[in-house]
Amino acid sequence: MIFNTFLKETKELMREGRVRIAFFIVVLLLGIAVWISARQYQNVNEQYESATAAERGLWDNQGEKNPHSAAHYGTYAFKPKYPLSLVDQGVDKYAGTSIFLEAHKRNEAQFSAATDQTGLARFGDLTPDFILLFIIPLLIVLLGYNSFTKEREMGTLTLLKSQGISNWKWMLGKWTALFLPIFAISLVLFLFAGILLSSLKDFGVFNWESLFMMLLVFTIYYMIFTNVVLLISALTKKSGISLVVSLCVWIVTCLAAPKAASNIAESKHPYPTRQEFAANVLKDKKEGLDGHNPWSKEAKLLEQEVLKKHGVDSLHQLPFNFDAYRMQKGEEHEAEVYFKHYNYLKDQYTKQSKVYRSLAAISPYLPTRFLSMSIAHTDYATHWDFADAAEEYRIATQKFLNDNFAQNSEYGNWRYQADAEFWKTLPKFEYDPPELNAILSRNSSNLWIMGIWLSASFGFLAISIKKI
Amino acid sequence: MLSYNFKYELKLLLRSRWIQLLSIVLLLLFGFSTYNGLQKVEKRKKDIADAHLEVKENDEMMLKLLDSVEYGMQVSASRWTIPTQPMAVGNYHPRVAAMDPQPMTFIATGQGDLFTHYVKPKVSGDDFTLNFAEMTSPVQLLFGSFDLAFVIIYLLPLLIIAFSYNVLSAERESGSLRLLASQPIGIQTWVLQKLGLRFFWLSMLVIFTLTLVFFVVGINPFSQIALFFGLLALVLTYMLFWFALTFLVNLWVGSSSKNAVVLLGLWVVFVLLIPSMLNQLGNTLYPMPSRTIMINEMRTLKAEVAKKQDEILDNYLRDHPEYAINDSTQFRGFYHRYMASQKLVKEELSPLINAYEDQLKKQQSWVASFKWVSPSIIVQESLNQMAGTSTQDYESFRKQVIAFAGIWREHFLPFLYNNQDFSQNDYADLPKFQYEQKSFTTIGAIPILFLISIGLFAVGFLISNQTKKAGILASN
Repeated sequence: MIFNTFLKETKELMREGRVRIAFFIVVLLLGIAVWISARQYQNVNEQYESATAAERGLWDNQGEKNPHSAAHYGTYAFKPKYPLSLVDQGVDKYAGTSIFLEAHKRNEAQFSAATDQTGLARFGDLTPDFILLFIIPLLIVLLGYNSFTKEREMGTLTLLKSQGISNWKWMLGKWTALFLPIFAISLVLFLFAGILLSSLKDFGVFNWESLFMMLLVFTIYYMIFTNVVLLISALTKKSGISLVVSLCVWIVTCLAAPKAASNIAESKHPYPTRQEFAANVLKDKKEGLDGHNPWSKEAKLLEQEVLKKHGVDSLHQLPFNFDAYRMQKGEEHEAEVYFKHYNYLKDQYTKQSKVYRSLAAISPYLPTRFLSMSIAHTDYATHWDFADAAEEYRIATQKFLNDNFAQNSEYGNWRYQADAEFWKTLPKFEYDPPELNAILSRNSSNLWIMGIWLSASFGFLAISIKKI
Repeated sequence: MLSYNFKYELKLLLRSRWIQLLSIVLLLLFGFSTYNGLQKVEKRKKDIADAHLEVKENDEMMLKLLDSVEYGMQVSASRWTIPTQPMAVGNYHPRVAAMDPQPMTFIATGQGDLFTHYVKPKVSGDDFTLNFAEMTSPVQLLFGSFDLAFVIIYLLPLLIIAFSYNVLSAERESGSLRLLASQPIGIQTWVLQKLGLRFFWLSMLVIFTLTLVFFVVGINPFSQIALFFGLLALVLTYMLFWFALTFLVNLWVGSSSKNAVVLLGLWVVFVLLIPSMLNQLGNTLYPMPSRTIMINEMRTLKAEVAKKQDEILDNYLRDHPEYAINDSTQFRGFYHRYMASQKLVKEELSPLINAYEDQLKKQQSWVASFKWVSPSIIVQESLNQMAGTSTQDYESFRKQVIAFAGIWREHFLPFLYNNQDFSQNDYADLPKFQYEQKSFTTIGAIPILFLISIGLFAVGFLISNQTKKAGILASN
């Protein structure tokens, strides 16, 4: 019985012009979107490779120089693009791609693509995630809104009832007929993306597991939409009303809720402005040791402490250059200040995330979006992770340079120059994004919310179908 | 016939509760979005006021310090921050270069969440290191803001579609079309009248709720009468465009569900697809040069300049003999070399930075020439311009700030190279930044949009003439 209903519904869908056209358009759009994204992905990666190599070249060939001058000269950490960004671009467009690593200062990632584009960029991009998150749910609405209402309108409902068909089998048939074509599109897309990515020369951290997980997330998302659309169709009397209600659901879920969530999150837990943030950092920095200022109170304290520890009575008798030692201590203090202030930002973001999660109660779009971005390594958390790794590297680099300065020169010798070969011994900056398991456990609440949505929508559908 | 239509259509709309429903929905949407917009504006104003206050407090400290130093007293500040040194003033006491919100800023967030609204340029560092991007969570940028512009551009057309997708088809489906056909009125005239009346009522509702919302949240729309009427005119013409589309689809397509699907398809195309495709094409045709590669080039250049600092200073002083004459000490320190080479770096970097400006301009003109393909783009652009949050506004702010940074730097150079101390008397002469709002509003958008809509209505008439030949009652 399930199969018969499925067959009948599928045939009906296939025969309808609107379905064929809609399907054709969606597949075409997906094709274009994947093609554009693949090109962009390759482009960005080539730039990343060449920029990283060139930057390292500059660092290695500094020649003889004071290590602290080199620290001020600094170096850059570039953020790579990950393979699955082909499917979901996430916040990549809005997050910077390069971080300047220098002495005394933690810098923000600079140069997001959005700041280099016109206002049109804010409409969104034609990328696979746009189709997957917005257009396919709309397709589900258009295919399924009259699934039950048409039986009422054509009068076939009475006929069906006289057949003694069990309602849930009937529903399952309809459900499968609506869901399978959608699933087929996404399966083809993900397979295609997988093949494309594994055939690219440098496919970095791409693995099929993540791709499969992403497919699973979207499958659940579509199941929820299928349930909701069928539920509405079962509850309403007329196709027209069913369509309008389903559309309202789509608008609220995909358009209104995310925007409203972003407004609420911002007004409740705002970020400081860039200038405020800088001013706060500066204030805290001033309260501690400044590596460049030997006359400050903190510097004098440090001096006495070190003299006492080494049992000598003048800085010249120390076995290392105290200037460099103080520089390193100052660096550590500054790193702590940055740590504190960036943690504040992170806290604000964690609170904002809670707002997003609570609004997920009216929009399954939100958990899907966050999960898919995380798996694709294009979410904000990965960006934080990258920025933290860059900061750790910066701190390690400062220590590496200051230690060299301290050990190879005596107190007061600011003329000391490190060997031209020395720079090459600095380890390279390496960053590995979090593994799939870590991502999933970090997003466990989003997974739960999706689970609740799925089971609740199934439950309501099962209840309402009994009453038809 | 029009008066009958008018009377019964109103009765129908009232009895089917459409008017009541629409008023509530519009009130909620306009209310929430205006409130959001206002909150953003308030925050922006407060941030700027705080920044000014901070500078004021710092200035008082600076003046006290100057006073003490001038009286020969010992001060506790770090040596290099003592404001008798011109570079210390230039670096540690920068002015606020702020972009104050415009009276209508709350209607559209535009690029306002992406860019910062105030910066403090210093004498050291180049223009290039001025970061104009605001510190925002990228998730917020991705989702966008629930502002009035969003309601107007995205949701209003959907309301229109839901309101009138089945004007004709419902008559056919309920069987009352036969009754209508017996009346002495052409079918297209009848649909036009019906849609015209719906347009009229929806317009009334929009005008009324918008004015009400403005008053409730404490904005007096009549204090900015020209802008307010401009906004209303823009919204109404945009609505007219969507009514014209529903008119076409009503006459052309057929059953209610088909109408709905076609109209939604058009909505997706005009509001979502065309803008994103145009943007992407613009980026592909006029790609921004890679920022990462630019960083490399800039670094190489700076590394070269750093090696030749002494030589650069000599050249600089040769170009500015006045500094050699006025200063008897001829002391040359770090900042003398630094500022001279900074000037050179700026000159050498300017082609690199101009490349970005040029590409952005090309992208903008590309958008400008194709924006007529979708009214949504025109409306977005016009709303952003009214709000003063368009890309051009922020570009203009950026340019003004960079010009001010130049003035700020130049102001301290004579002090520096003449080795002259900064004193209390010089405080009043410090340059100040005043943002000058340039108007980018193009009034031309409204009549053109209006003409497009009228054109669509005309097309509707032509098509329906053909339908008439086939007979309106012929089943499709």
